[in-house]
Amino acid sequence: MASVLINVPKAVRKGDVIEIKTLISHPMETGFRSAPDGKLIPRDIIYRFVCTFEGVEIFAADLFPAISANPFIAFTMRAERSGTLTFRWLDDKGGAQVETARLDVQ
Amino acid sequence: MRSLILALCLMSLPAWAQAPKTSSFDLMKPETQAMQRDDASNPAMLWIAEGRTLWSEKAGASRKACADCHGDVGSLRGVAVRYPAFKATQHKVITLDQQIQICRVQEQKADPWALESRPVLALSALIGLQSRGLALLPATPAEASTLAQGRALYEERRGQMNLSCAQCHDDNAGKSLGGAVIPQGHPTGYPLYRLEWQDLGSVERRLRNCMVGVRSEPYPYGSPEMVALEVFLRDRAAGLPLETPAIRP
Amino acid sequence: MSLAGAQEIIGDGMPTPLAGPGDVTRGRAIIIDRQKGFCLLCHSGPFPEQRFMGNLAPDLAGAGSRYNAAQLRLRIAHSARLAPDTIMPSYFATEGLTRVARPYVGKPILDGQQIEDVVAFLLTLKEAP
Repeated sequence: MASVLINVPKAVRKGDVIEIKTLISHPMETGFRSAPDGKLIPRDIIYRFVCTFEGVEIFAADLFPAISANPFIAFTMRAERSGTLTFRWLDDKGGAQVETARLDVQ
Repeated sequence: MRSLILALCLMSLPAWAQAPKTSSFDLMKPETQAMQRDDASNPAMLWIAEGRTLWSEKAGASRKACADCHGDVGSLRGVAVRYPAFKATQHKVITLDQQIQICRVQEQKADPWALESRPVLALSALIGLQSRGLALLPATPAEASTLAQGRALYEERRGQMNLSCAQCHDDNAGKSLGGAVIPQGHPTGYPLYRLEWQDLGSVERRLRNCMVGVRSEPYPYGSPEMVALEVFLRDRAAGLPLETPAIRP
Repeated sequence: MSLAGAQEIIGDGMPTPLAGPGDVTRGRAIIIDRQKGFCLLCHSGPFPEQRFMGNLAPDLAGAGSRYNAAQLRLRIAHSARLAPDTIMPSYFATEGLTRVARPYVGKPILDGQQIEDVVAFLLTLKEAP
């Protein structure tokens, strides 16, 4: 499992617009680089990131080889109630990394 | 007469030493500086998270974790700014990364980690973070001969291009090599996330890049020459605050 | 290190060419190539399509008016003979160097023909900046 950092603000009041920040460890190999022996290194990237809140999709992004290694993805949401955020990173190898974080709204 | 002597003394210093000591943080774009300042966006924090896991993980035949001997990693505040350090039990000056290797093999009785490997860098970054904001320390008397060796290496012209570190980073700091401003070259943020590497790396990795750049055979990781250069560079930077884990372009 | 015969220094120049006649087009290509001559890392010059030229060394514009072929040849091939502390590499030197990276041991940065090409191009730069 790749290392992941998720940043959800604390002390959030109902109606606040907050920024969720995520970082995931991943080489994001473009498929355009060559190894020292001259052979192309195969593409290996995260191609989609989805965030749901209590099961409802609130943010999604399609990623392409131009995105650097260890992608940082941040987005905003309006905090209306407390609940669970679920984050999914899908990669070329068919893997899906799933993490959750708690949003507490006063 | 006194002011003439003072002026002559100042003129014998390298160009940058007549100007204040500055970190290459100041040369970065605001966006990159913001990335370093925000722990939620600094990719190096991924290694810090891995370091925290390693810190508490029992390993080796001793089934010991770093925490079992050292307690909370916060107890190592002040350590990173005095490494490389003379270690009596080793009879020589060693780097922080070499100390981590020693703990792994001698205390945890686990199989060794290579220098520049991910776990070594993760722990090095975690320990460095505990000293973030503290001033880098000058060399101690026990490090004097290593310091002198480091200075000699710093001033030695090398490679097919026949250039020394001093010629760029003392004589020409602030001027541009192609599109890049030459920094004074103080190791204030290591190990750091270099955008060019898309990776976290040590100061020795960066020195190897420079040596390759002047077409000189780089010294191996952890070699006496690399340790000596690390001591010299830290001493040269003494007083600047540690930024570990930094970001650089 | 003594330079005999073809690399003899007379005054502040090296009058004997190191190879056949220099080609101006090849010379310009070597100068702007950041891997071959890498001149623009330190020098600026009249190369309108080039960006990010360094400022560690004099502007190359007018070099063909300030120096003759022998002077240019010496300054490129063995600059250290003129100014021992210079940061200008000696592009034709293979001796007196420390810890050269393995792929480059025994090889000059530029060969004789490449240096003649660069000299030929620089001689065309008549206008000062």
